Amino acid sequence: MIVVFFIFLVSSYLLFNAIPGNAFSNLLLNPNLPPDAYEKVLQTYGLDKPLFERVQLYVVNFFKGDFGYSYKYYPQTPIELIAERLPRTLMLFSVVNIISFYTGFFVGKVLAWRRGTKSETWITVTSVFSYTVFYPWFALMMLWFFGYKLGWFPIGKFLYPEKWYDAPFDSDIIFAMMIKFVVVISILQFIAYTVSRGIEALSIRRNIRFTSLVLIFIGSYFYWNTGEALVRKPYAADIAYHMILPVLVVTIVAFAGTALLTRTTMMEVLKEDYILTARAKGISQKRIRDRHAARTALLPVVTSFIFTIVTIIDGSVLTEQIFSWPGMGQLLLQSVLNEDIPVAMAAFSFVGVFALLAHLIADISYSYLDPRIRIKSQG
Amino acid sequence: MQINEQKEKNLQKQLRREAINRNWKLFSQSKLGMIGLGIVTFFLFLALLQPVLFFTGLWSQGVYNPVVGYDRITETKLVVECPKEYPTPEYENYASCPGDGEVQKKMLYLAQGVEVGDMYEVYLQPAPPSIKHILGTDSLGRDVFSQIMEGSQVAFVLGLLSATLGVGISTILGTVAAFYGGRVDRYLMRQSDLVLMLPTLPLLFIISAFAELKIWHLAVVLGVIGGLGGSVITIKSQALQVKVKPFVDSARITGGSQRKIMFSHVLPNVAPLALLFMVFSVTGAIASESVLSFLGLLNIDMSWGLMIYLSQTDGFIFSGLEYWWLILPAGLSVTFLAGGFYLVGRGLDDVFNPRLRKR
Repeated sequence: MIVVFFIFLVSSYLLFNAIPGNAFSNLLLNPNLPPDAYEKVLQTYGLDKPLFERVQLYVVNFFKGDFGYSYKYYPQTPIELIAERLPRTLMLFSVVNIISFYTGFFVGKVLAWRRGTKSETWITVTSVFSYTVFYPWFALMMLWFFGYKLGWFPIGKFLYPEKWYDAPFDSDIIFAMMIKFVVVISILQFIAYTVSRGIEALSIRRNIRFTSLVLIFIGSYFYWNTGEALVRKPYAADIAYHMILPVLVVTIVAFAGTALLTRTTMMEVLKEDYILTARAKGISQKRIRDRHAARTALLPVVTSFIFTIVTIIDGSVLTEQIFSWPGMGQLLLQSVLNEDIPVAMAAFSFVGVFALLAHLIADISYSYLDPRIRIKSQG
Repeated sequence: MQINEQKEKNLQKQLRREAINRNWKLFSQSKLGMIGLGIVTFFLFLALLQPVLFFTGLWSQGVYNPVVGYDRITETKLVVECPKEYPTPEYENYASCPGDGEVQKKMLYLAQGVEVGDMYEVYLQPAPPSIKHILGTDSLGRDVFSQIMEGSQVAFVLGLLSATLGVGISTILGTVAAFYGGRVDRYLMRQSDLVLMLPTLPLLFIISAFAELKIWHLAVVLGVIGGLGGSVITIKSQALQVKVKPFVDSARITGGSQRKIMFSHVLPNVAPLALLFMVFSVTGAIASESVLSFLGLLNIDMSWGLMIYLSQTDGFIFSGLEYWWLILPAGLSVTFLAGGFYLVGRGLDDVFNPRLRKR
């Protein structure tokens, strides 16, 4: 793994160097600067050294934990920049992923169950459309429709600067707080579901789930109306308001993939003998669908879901560019276009490490979810 | 002896034909697959129609060429002067001032001696759809329909080329990895890890920064990236399943060489999955091309992504549906062709994956 990562580092550094010019080429265009200024700047940043030496220096320093300084935002280090941008991306896409996973799974389940009916064809065509829709075009159209024509949502950016003039804290604190809030809420909801899963009677189960939902709502209401959160509430609301449109657009595009995958796996599962047995036993249709078939079909869906988490930052490039959401994707894109090599390298390796970790998690969760693999590997 | 060989060949031919017929029957049963095939055929027809139209002289290059063609469409309009304050009896607000069939005097600063109340001939660019230009013209006076046709040629060339290349690479590498195992396998798996680690879109940005990307180059780049990435792993797992089947063992016992077993026993059984991958990766290739030319990073004369890029940079995309022929056709073409290939892939999935079949 270390070797792979090493090759990854070296090759991406070489790739960045293959781009003609460098981050400071535009200094040459300024006639007011003395001619040696350019060379001086290059010397300061160490860009005048031979390529081999620079690669060596970079890789050695990388493993020491020193990522250098950004060329564009000079006193800031890449780590600071990433720490500033990452929460924004994570906030946006964690919400998107949670929503799109559940809706996608639900839609796919229903699709497979209604195989052959007319509604199935229509829903499939719609989800194929939203799966393959040309994303930037679609996002721009939505932006035009909701942001401009109807004027419901703001066009781009993640906050109204006017509102934040006298804010006693910066937006990242709010983002961190909101992420914490979303994570806690989803964990609570998940716990409520797992607890109530064991209960057989349908009405009690439904009641428990409903009560837990209401409790969570009341709890979050109290949370946002007490102490520090009360001060931060309007700012958080501002960010949330700006988030609605991107979340909506990305969800429409993202849910279809999950839905179509669920449909396929579900259809394979429905062919299995134990589904026939369950039907013969006279269990209700809904129960067969939700308990017997959907559980098994969940496996590949979860794995592919983890893989889509890998592509969050990769995929956020376009979304953030269109909605001018200053997150990781924009940082990545701008650093590549400005040839801000330290930042671009740090962002690239961040994405790479993220990908490796997610693959590891996918492997582990697969063996956790599928007992057959565990038993086989134990021998 | 010769007669026997002839017979064998005929038999093989017959069997192949039967297999194709059977698979076609299965494929035609899936409604969505047929819809997809219809869409793909439609765009293929469009792509082939344009050279025919040029060749037969129905369309002249000067007018209909998607890149350098130009058509002058004029309309006579009434010259008016917009009031400073609204509302006036004629105009309700700022947006309604140069109404239908009217043009502001301020806009005609190049024409001399034009007074308010005159009729004046104005160039219409972008011109709305007419009989001559089915989908109108763009802001440079070029025919949009012809651009759509050119774009579908680009999409087909790029999609099919990159998909074939990518699937070719990943099939061979995946089979080799499964077949030889050991060090080769380990190396290939690490390699695809490496490719998976690179973020695709920024990588394409970098490549487009130092290389002038034409369609062919982009197809090769996309094909290689797709072929070395995750699909190798999937194909390898399929090949591993085939490798342990009894017929491979029996081929080995009867003395088949390694290469013979790999190419004539294992590869054909991996091929259906590879074909499926190919169809799905066409979707991805079309989307990537459109994204790149949407961002203006490609050195391509005309494509669907470029059309949207132009309509965006000219400021028409936020004009709503007033200039719909600049916005909708290109975006919908990308969506529909990608969706068509996806649906074809779905249909093929039903054919090759017996577990999904209805009966």
